[in-house]
Amino acid sequence: MRYLTVGRPESQRRDLVLAVALAFFSLFLAGLSLDSRLAITEVLRSSILAPFLGAQSMFARGADLSEQVATLTTEREVLAARVLEAADLELENQQLRAIAGLPERRISEFAVGEVIPGAPEAGVSHSFLFRTRDDVAPVTPAGISAPDGVVGVLRTANGGSGLGEFWTHPDFRVGVRTPSGSATGILRSFLAADGETMMLLEGIPFQTDIAAGTLLVTSGIGGVHPAGVPVGRVVEEAETRSGWSHSFLVEPIVRPGQIRVGLVWLVGSVLPSQDTSSS
Amino acid sequence: METERSTWVWSGFSIVVLLILHFLLRPLFVRLPVAPNLLVGALLLATLRLRAGHAALLGFSLGILEAAMALEGMGWYALALTVIGYVGARSRDLLFADARFYVFGYLFLGTWLAESVLLLLGTSPPGPVRLLAGGGADALLTALVCGGVEAMTASILERQV
Repeated sequence: MRYLTVGRPESQRRDLVLAVALAFFSLFLAGLSLDSRLAITEVLRSSILAPFLGAQSMFARGADLSEQVATLTTEREVLAARVLEAADLELENQQLRAIAGLPERRISEFAVGEVIPGAPEAGVSHSFLFRTRDDVAPVTPAGISAPDGVVGVLRTANGGSGLGEFWTHPDFRVGVRTPSGSATGILRSFLAADGETMMLLEGIPFQTDIAAGTLLVTSGIGGVHPAGVPVGRVVEEAETRSGWSHSFLVEPIVRPGQIRVGLVWLVGSVLPSQDTSSS
Repeated sequence: METERSTWVWSGFSIVVLLILHFLLRPLFVRLPVAPNLLVGALLLATLRLRAGHAALLGFSLGILEAAMALEGMGWYALALTVIGYVGARSRDLLFADARFYVFGYLFLGTWLAESVLLLLGTSPPGPVRLLAGGGADALLTALVCGGVEAMTASILERQV
C-alpha cells in the first residue's frame, strides 16, 4: 500500500498556512476566559459528545448496580449466619423469661426501603425520599439506619413513602452512649474547620473523658432510634467548652452519599409470638 | 478510482471505530495504569492518508473534543494534536514510503511523543519516570492495537485489488 502523498509545493504551502492558522486559533481558545471555555465545553458535551457521555454513565450505573448486588449478597449471607446464631439465644431468652415470669420481649422490627437523596426537591442535600412496601406504615419520626449505622430520621410518611432528613440536617439530634455506658450525650451535625460535615457530641460531664476511636451507639432514649445502633467514632475533644460539660468531634460511620438502601424502625411493633412448645 | 474509494471507505471506517472506542472507553482507559491512546492512534493512522493540512484540521477537531471530554486543556490539546497531525503527515512523506512494518514504528514514536506532550499539558504533569515508562508502555500498546487495525485494513484492501 502506498502512503506517499507529498503533493505540489503550492499545496504544501497551503497545508502549512492552514496548520499555522489552526495553531493560532488553538492559542486563541486557550487564552479565552474560563467561562467562555466552559461554554464551548458545554455545547460540545450536550451535542456531539452527548451519546458517548450517555453511554459512559449507563456503563457506570451498570457497574454500580452489580457492585450493590455483590454488597447486598454478602450482607445477606452475614445476616443469615447471624440469624442462625441468634435462634439459640432467642430460645434461651424465652425460657429464662418464662422462668422469671416476665412477659414476652418486645422486639424491634425494621422494614427495608430505598433511600433517594435530594428528592423530591433537587439540590437539597440534607433531605431524602424513603420508599418501602405499601403495607408498611411507619410512625414518624422514625429512625432510618443502614447495616453500618444511623442514616437519619423519617419525618413524614404516607403509605410506603416518606420524607426524611439525613444526620447532616441542622435539626438532627440523637442520644448516644459508649458501648460500656460510661458516657452518654447528644450528637448533632457539625461543620468542621476544614469544611467537612462531622458530628459533635455534647453534654459530656467535664470530668468524663472519652478516648479517640471510641464507638458511639444510640442510647434508645427518645424512642426514635432503637438502642445499640452505631453512629460514629470519637476523633478528638472539640475546642468549644461550655460550663461543666465538654464536647467531642465525632467521625460519622455512615455518609449520606454512600446510602441507597435503609432500614426504617417500626417503633413499638411486636413480632407475632412463636410457638416453642414443639422444640 | 474504485480502489481509491474503497481505500477511503475502509480506512475511514477503521479510524471512526477507533475514535468511537476511545470516547466510549475513556473512563476505563484513564483508570488503567497502561492503556492504548486510541485518539492519537486514530489521528496517526489518518495522517498516513490525509494531506498535511487536512491532518492538522482533524487533529484540531479531535483536540477540541478531547478537551471537552477531559474538562481541561481547551486550546492546548487542540494545539498539540494540530501539530501532531501536521508533523505526522509531513514526516510520513519524509521517513518512509510503502513498508507496512514501519507503520508500527511510526505509531509507536508518534504516540509516545503525543502522550508526553498531552501529559505535560494536563492539570497534573507527571514525573520523568511516568513520561518515559508509562508513556512508552501506552505507546507500545497503541502501536500494537492501531497497527493491527491498519494491517487488517490493508489486507482487506489488498484482497479487493
